[in-house]
Amino acid sequence: MEKILEVKDLKVSFQTYGGTVQAVRGVSFDLHKGETLAIVGESGSGKSVTSQTLMKLIPMPPGQITGGEILFYGDDIVPKSEKEMENIRGKDISMIFQDPMTSLNPTMKVGNQIMEGLIKHQGLSKADAKKRAIKLLELVGIPMPDKRVNQYPHEFSGGMRQRAMIAIALATNPKLLIADEPTTALDVTIQAQILELMKELQAKMDTSIIFITHDLGVVANVADRVAVMYAGQIVEIGTVDEIFYDPKHPYTWGLLASMPSVDNDTKDELAAIPGTPPDLTNPPIGDAFAARNKYALAIDYEEEPPMFQISETHFAKTWLLHPDAPHVEPPEAVKLRQRQMSSNFDKPIIVKEGI
Amino acid sequence: MAEKLLEIKNLKQHFNVGKSNMVKAVDGITFDIYKGETLGLVGESGCGKSTTGRTIIRLYNATDGQVLFNGENVHGKKSNNQLKAFNRKMQMIFQDPYASLNPRMTVADIIAEGIDIHGLAKSKTERMERVYELLETVGLNKEHANRYPHEFSGGQRQRIGIARALAVEPEFIIADEPISALDVSIQAQVVNLMKKLQREKGLTYLFIAHDLSMVKYISDRIGVMYFGKLVELTTAEELYSNPLHPYTQSLLSAIPLPDPESERTRQRKTYDPAVHQYSADDKVEMREVRPGHFVYCSEKEFAQYQKEYKS
Repeated sequence: MEKILEVKDLKVSFQTYGGTVQAVRGVSFDLHKGETLAIVGESGSGKSVTSQTLMKLIPMPPGQITGGEILFYGDDIVPKSEKEMENIRGKDISMIFQDPMTSLNPTMKVGNQIMEGLIKHQGLSKADAKKRAIKLLELVGIPMPDKRVNQYPHEFSGGMRQRAMIAIALATNPKLLIADEPTTALDVTIQAQILELMKELQAKMDTSIIFITHDLGVVANVADRVAVMYAGQIVEIGTVDEIFYDPKHPYTWGLLASMPSVDNDTKDELAAIPGTPPDLTNPPIGDAFAARNKYALAIDYEEEPPMFQISETHFAKTWLLHPDAPHVEPPEAVKLRQRQMSSNFDKPIIVKEGI
Repeated sequence: MAEKLLEIKNLKQHFNVGKSNMVKAVDGITFDIYKGETLGLVGESGCGKSTTGRTIIRLYNATDGQVLFNGENVHGKKSNNQLKAFNRKMQMIFQDPYASLNPRMTVADIIAEGIDIHGLAKSKTERMERVYELLETVGLNKEHANRYPHEFSGGQRQRIGIARALAVEPEFIIADEPISALDVSIQAQVVNLMKKLQREKGLTYLFIAHDLSMVKYISDRIGVMYFGKLVELTTAEELYSNPLHPYTQSLLSAIPLPDPESERTRQRKTYDPAVHQYSADDKVEMREVRPGHFVYCSEKEFAQYQKEYKS
C-alpha cells in the first residue's frame, strides 16, 4: 500500500514560565492510503499536539518543532512557510475538531463556511460552490440541505454541527483527515451515527484518517492500527487486533484493565493506574511510565527502553520484552482477552531507530 | 430488598411554565431508592437526568410531585432549621471539577465550609483534624489542605469535591456525571474510591452518567430516561441481558465495546418513537413485567413484553 505520511522522530516543545515543556518527544509513525490510525492516550500525552503539528497549527512561539521530519507524500512539511501551509491546510489535509459548538464560526452561515475552501482551493464560482455545499450536506446526512445551507450554526443540533464540520473537512477531497476527538462531546447514539458516516465516506473517497480519542470502544470500532501515547512518546503501536488481543506494554495493559466491560458481571475492583502522568518540563530519567508501573524493573529508572518489534506491524517500548527481563503476568482483565498471534516473530527484536 | 431511603412520586419539573417555550424537562417519574444501594440514571443529553438529580436535592423547586426522604417530603414548607438538618443528609458531587470548586478558597476552607455551617467542629484544631482526616479518606494528604484548586489535576479536584460532600456525614449522595470530565485511567481511581466509601460508610448513591459501561459497573439498579420520562428500571444485570423497551435496546446497541471483533459485527438498532403507536385512550405507565423489572408501556405492549420474556 502507498505510504502517504511518514513522521520521523518528531519533537515539539513549548516555552512557558515554568520552563520548556517537551510535549512530543520523538514520535515516529507512518500512514498508508485509505487507512485509519487511532492515537490513544490520556490528556497531556501529546496526542493532540502531534496531530496539530502535522498541520502546523500549534502557535509558534511559544511552540517550536525542535527536531524531526513530517513527510507528506515524500515532501517535508516542517520547513514550510505559513503561506505554503495555507495551500495544504483544508486542501490536502483537513481537520475535524472536538467541540462542534466552538469550532464553527457563529456569525457565518454554514453554507458559506463549507464554500470557503471550495472557492479558495478549487477555484469554483460562488454559485457552483453553493451547489457543491448542498451536495456535501446531503452526503453527510443532513435533511433539507437546500434550506440548511442558509442557516447559522446555532440553528443546528450538536450532532448536526459535527456533520457540518465533516462536510467542511471533506469539501476538497483531502488525502488526509485528522479527527481530534470528533465524537467525545456527543451522545452514544449520535456518536454511533457519526462513526458510521465517517467510515462510509472513507470507503467512498479512500481518505486516510488519523483518529485521536481516549475511548477504547471507539478505537475498536474505527481503527485499522492503533498508536498508544504516553508522556509525549508512542509506547506501543500495532494493528487493532494486536493492541486489543496481544498488548505488550504495561501502560496499554493498564488502559485496557481500567475499563469495566459490559459483558462480564464481575464487581471486583477496577485495576486503576495509580498516580498521575509525569511533568514534561522535566521528564523522568529512564522509562517515563516507571513510577506508575507495578511491573517496573530496576533498569526502567536508569535507561530509556528501546523500541522492540514483535511482528511486522507490532512495536512496543518496554524493557519487559528484553531477553534478560523476568517473565511477568499481565493483569487478569488483560489475560482474559489475550490470544496467540500467528504473525508474531519467535522473539522480539530490538529496533535501534524508531519506526 | 432493604428499606426505602427515598421515594420519588410523579415528580415533574417544567421550565417556562405558561409560556410558549415551556419545557417538560422531567415529566412525571416515579421510583424508589433503597438504603445502601447505587441507582444509576442514564440517558442522552437533554433527557432530564441531571434535572431529576437537581430537583431531588431541591436545587430546583418541583413543579409537581413528591420526593420523600425517610418518609419526609423534601419539597414541603420548611423552617430554616429543618432545611439545614435536611441539607446535611443529602449532598451532591458535580460533573465539572474545574467549575465546582471556588478558585479563591483553600482546599481546607472548601472542605470545611459544611463543617462550619453546621457547627460540627468545636474548635479550630478539631476542624483541621476533620479536614486532614477527610483528605486522607479520599486519598490526598495533609499538605494539600492549604493549597488552592488550580494546583490540582482533574482527578484530584474530583477527590476534593468528594471530600467536601462527605464532610457533613450525609446518608445520600447525588453524583452528577462525576467522572465524565476525567481521563480513563483516573476514572477508575475515582470509581474505586466511591465504591470503597460506600462500603465503609453505608452511603446511598444516585449516579447520573451517560457512560453505560461505567454505570453498569457501579450500579445495583439502573433507570433509563428518555425525554423526561423513565422508560425502564431494573437491576444492572437484567437491563443488559434483557432490555425490553426499544429505546433501551437502541441505547445499548450504540455503545462501542473495546473489542475489535464484536465491533466488526455490530448491529445498531435505531429507536423511532412511532413504533409504539399509542392511541389516545391507551394508558401508558410504568408496569412491572417481571418482579423488579419496570417498563414504561401500554396494556398491549405489556402483554407483548411478558410474552417476549417467556420465550
